[in-house]
Amino acid sequence: MKKQLLKFSLLFFGASALLLSSCKKDKDEENEEEVITTMQLTLVPQGGGTTVTYKFDDPDGPGGGAPTQDQIILAPNKTYSVSLLLLNKTVTPAEDISTEVAAEGQAHRFYYEPSAGSNIVVSGLNVDGSGIALGLISSWTTTTAATGTIKITLRHYPGNPPNKAAADAVNSSKSSTDIEVDFNTSIQ
Amino acid sequence: MKKSLYLLFTVFCCSRLFGQDCSIRLTGHVHSTISHENLPNATVQLSGTAKTLITNSNGDFAFDSLCAGTYSIIITHSSYDTIVKSVVVQRRLHVDFDLMPARNTLSKVTVTGVKGVQNTGLKRELSGRKLDETRGLSLAEALSKMNGVSVLQTGSTISKPIIHGLHSNRILTINNGVRQEGQQWGNEHSPEIDPFIANRLTIIKGVDELRYGSDAIGGVILVEPRALRNSPGYNAELNALYFANNRQYVTSFIFEQQLKKLSSFTYRLQGSFKKGANVNTPAYRLNNTGIEEKNFSLTAGWRKEHFNSEIYYSFFNTEIGIFAGSHIGNLSDLSNAIAASRPDPTFTGQNTYKIERPYQDVTHHLLKWKTGFDIDNNKFTVLVAGQHNQRKEYDVVRNSSTKTPQIDLSIFTFSEEINWEHPRKSNFSGVVGLTALQQDNSYSGRYLIPNYRSYSFGGYAIEKWEKGNLDVQAGVRYDNKDINTNRLQAASQTFTAYHFNFSTLASSVNAGFKILPEWKINSNVSLSTRAPQVNELLTNGIHHGAGTYEVGDIYLKPERSFNVSVNSSYTSTNKIFSADLTLYRNDIANFIYQQPKPDEPVLTIRGAFPKIVYEAADALLHGLDISTVFVPYQRFSLTSKYSMLRARNRRIDDWLIGMPADRIGNELTYNLKDLGQFSNTYFSIEVQNVFKQTRVPGDKNGAQDYKLPPEGYMLMNADVSTTIKLKKLPLAFSISGRNLLNKSYREYLNSFRYFTDEMGRNISIRLKIALEHFY
Repeated sequence: MKKQLLKFSLLFFGASALLLSSCKKDKDEENEEEVITTMQLTLVPQGGGTTVTYKFDDPDGPGGGAPTQDQIILAPNKTYSVSLLLLNKTVTPAEDISTEVAAEGQAHRFYYEPSAGSNIVVSGLNVDGSGIALGLISSWTTTTAATGTIKITLRHYPGNPPNKAAADAVNSSKSSTDIEVDFNTSIQ
Repeated sequence: MKKSLYLLFTVFCCSRLFGQDCSIRLTGHVHSTISHENLPNATVQLSGTAKTLITNSNGDFAFDSLCAGTYSIIITHSSYDTIVKSVVVQRRLHVDFDLMPARNTLSKVTVTGVKGVQNTGLKRELSGRKLDETRGLSLAEALSKMNGVSVLQTGSTISKPIIHGLHSNRILTINNGVRQEGQQWGNEHSPEIDPFIANRLTIIKGVDELRYGSDAIGGVILVEPRALRNSPGYNAELNALYFANNRQYVTSFIFEQQLKKLSSFTYRLQGSFKKGANVNTPAYRLNNTGIEEKNFSLTAGWRKEHFNSEIYYSFFNTEIGIFAGSHIGNLSDLSNAIAASRPDPTFTGQNTYKIERPYQDVTHHLLKWKTGFDIDNNKFTVLVAGQHNQRKEYDVVRNSSTKTPQIDLSIFTFSEEINWEHPRKSNFSGVVGLTALQQDNSYSGRYLIPNYRSYSFGGYAIEKWEKGNLDVQAGVRYDNKDINTNRLQAASQTFTAYHFNFSTLASSVNAGFKILPEWKINSNVSLSTRAPQVNELLTNGIHHGAGTYEVGDIYLKPERSFNVSVNSSYTSTNKIFSADLTLYRNDIANFIYQQPKPDEPVLTIRGAFPKIVYEAADALLHGLDISTVFVPYQRFSLTSKYSMLRARNRRIDDWLIGMPADRIGNELTYNLKDLGQFSNTYFSIEVQNVFKQTRVPGDKNGAQDYKLPPEGYMLMNADVSTTIKLKKLPLAFSISGRNLLNKSYREYLNSFRYFTDEMGRNISIRLKIALEHFY
């Protein structure tokens, strides 16, 4: 009886192991969606001068290798036209996320918060279809030499409708954070 | 408290009437097929009449003054299987009945059920009205009606059972005899089972756990459908429910048939549908908290005297909306949301069934084939099962044209079991079994756990000895699990493939002693071992909603639990008072938990996240459950429950996080006398007190929680129920109210306590129609 039992069980275990291996087909490698690895700022000085770019870069996404982050160096008493580019570098070629954000502008908003004493003033944010600040393009004006930080935040409105309003603060409970990066700044 | 098995023995009414002879005597004798013992204390009831008897010490019963006709009897006995026959009574008659021992009642120590009232009062229902009262609720909520069980929640739609402080992979869920292999990687992953399948929910701890795994540190939940018909005929049951709070409606049906010409064949069709809109708290309605669930199952059985075979297929699908105000981008968002006393109006106020992102869509298929046969009283069972579980999680996305889920996990499981129950000999009975399991998991989208294949095999032996007032059981089990993982390549990174092999051993000894016929003491010592899960070994990423970055540890060792429990149950001979007390102590070595690392934040483009690492400590969980039933007079009863748990992390000498606070429940029930068309009429009112959890870890090893536990609360619930006979069809009708006082409160075990209040008043109505026809 016990021998029979053993045969029985071996048969079943064998059969299902076979079934398992025949069912298995490896999925194609897919990468995480919705990843933003890189935020790049392109600063064009008004009235002539060299265009500069600075970035926060985490090419493998959250976790893994640590991100690299530039220090933003600006000239005193200048106004820069700043455009912001978001990339997903985990795919090849890198995906431009900023066009996505522009397309869904009514559910997104960038905030620029220079620290006190950084001697940077940010204004002239571009707007979404409803005329409320979006901020993919902005204008930065410097005064005298100083060091400080600037916090750049991208807020996403998950609500339906998003209810984005001009008066919304950066920490509005209507929106949540997609990006929050602090850059060190130096005017020299 | 010992769980009773009700035996349905049916003879039906009056197909032929023979004159006016109403003085016939029907006698019978009940005994066990296997041990040939006489079975005393079996309840024998004549269906359609009010006649009920208990078999005497020789297993005999006798009904006097019966009219001629065809009758139905119901027998209740612990630990025996259902048998149904029809008996035509024309003249004085004697019938013998052979009962088969129930499969899964090789002594179970039930964590104090709430069955006190049912045992003394109702009959017929396998699980009784307490289960009916939970219809429409989730599996975990239904289980929490038992003392010692609480619910781990993520909002109002996602819930998991906690037994004595332990949950998720520390509890095994056995779905119709098959170990459920779903995806329980996180607190927001609830068991994928339709509670309407269950005709009985049982929690077992102790020796019988070993049948299902060596890793049942917290216990085993058995979700058991009723036995298939075993008399020719058909029966059907229809349930319809409506919950006013979230306009949730639920329907369920069961149809069972046994053919007259092919009486070996019997089958069942079962299905349920549930749809709920957004949940209302006393102060605001929470957007995107709808739910939609579709389930069905088919069972077909073939039964001969020494052979039976059963095929079962079940399908489960649920779509669960997750409150969007809980979707957290980073730590500062989380702090803001927590600091607010109520959610932003953007996330409240919509009364709709529509489910939007974020939501979960989970599907579970189970196909099972079970065959049993007996040779010279040796019982053999072969069980083969296949399961497929797919969990899709749809996050809030930046791009509204994205239709795909952000997490997509798919898991195939095949399991096989063969066991042998040897014949009862000189007070010994027992079972040995071999099991195997193969599993394949794959993912796409965001990384949570790697692809893996795992192969397990195991064996167990359980032996039971019983004589007089004493019974002793012991069992041992060994399992080996082999896991090969393979994470997909992401960006420019490649990841190591890992191989793990864990051997786990479990054993258990149980002794029960009847000091008096009405007073029993049971004690149990169990050793369980649980291998770390893949998520504990290899998770690596942001946990949205928790605002943390979680990291697994590949060096984790299996958890070893040493559990000692003592149970004492007493029922006074006049049945006026019964009490049940369980004391337990669970020492767990290598207890895997999440330890915050405040000094190692993970910098991402979303900002810095606190790092949480899976670590091992030594834990001690001990506590007690007590329940009493007081029946001062026949129609009135008071049921009281109290459960208490103390849980320590001994490595850092502090409390363990996320443990249930002490709770007390009191329920008054008044059963009305049957009146005309009305029967089973009762009123009950329940007051539930949950204390504030004050035993939480301090900050000395890094802040472990974002918010202090909420205050304790008191809830009032009520039920009114009756059964009306409409043209011979029994129609059960109930009205229930949960949180009748519409109290605003938050529960410590609900992770949404950071953001929102719990559900407000919820009035529901239930209708149940059952019909039965015999060929």
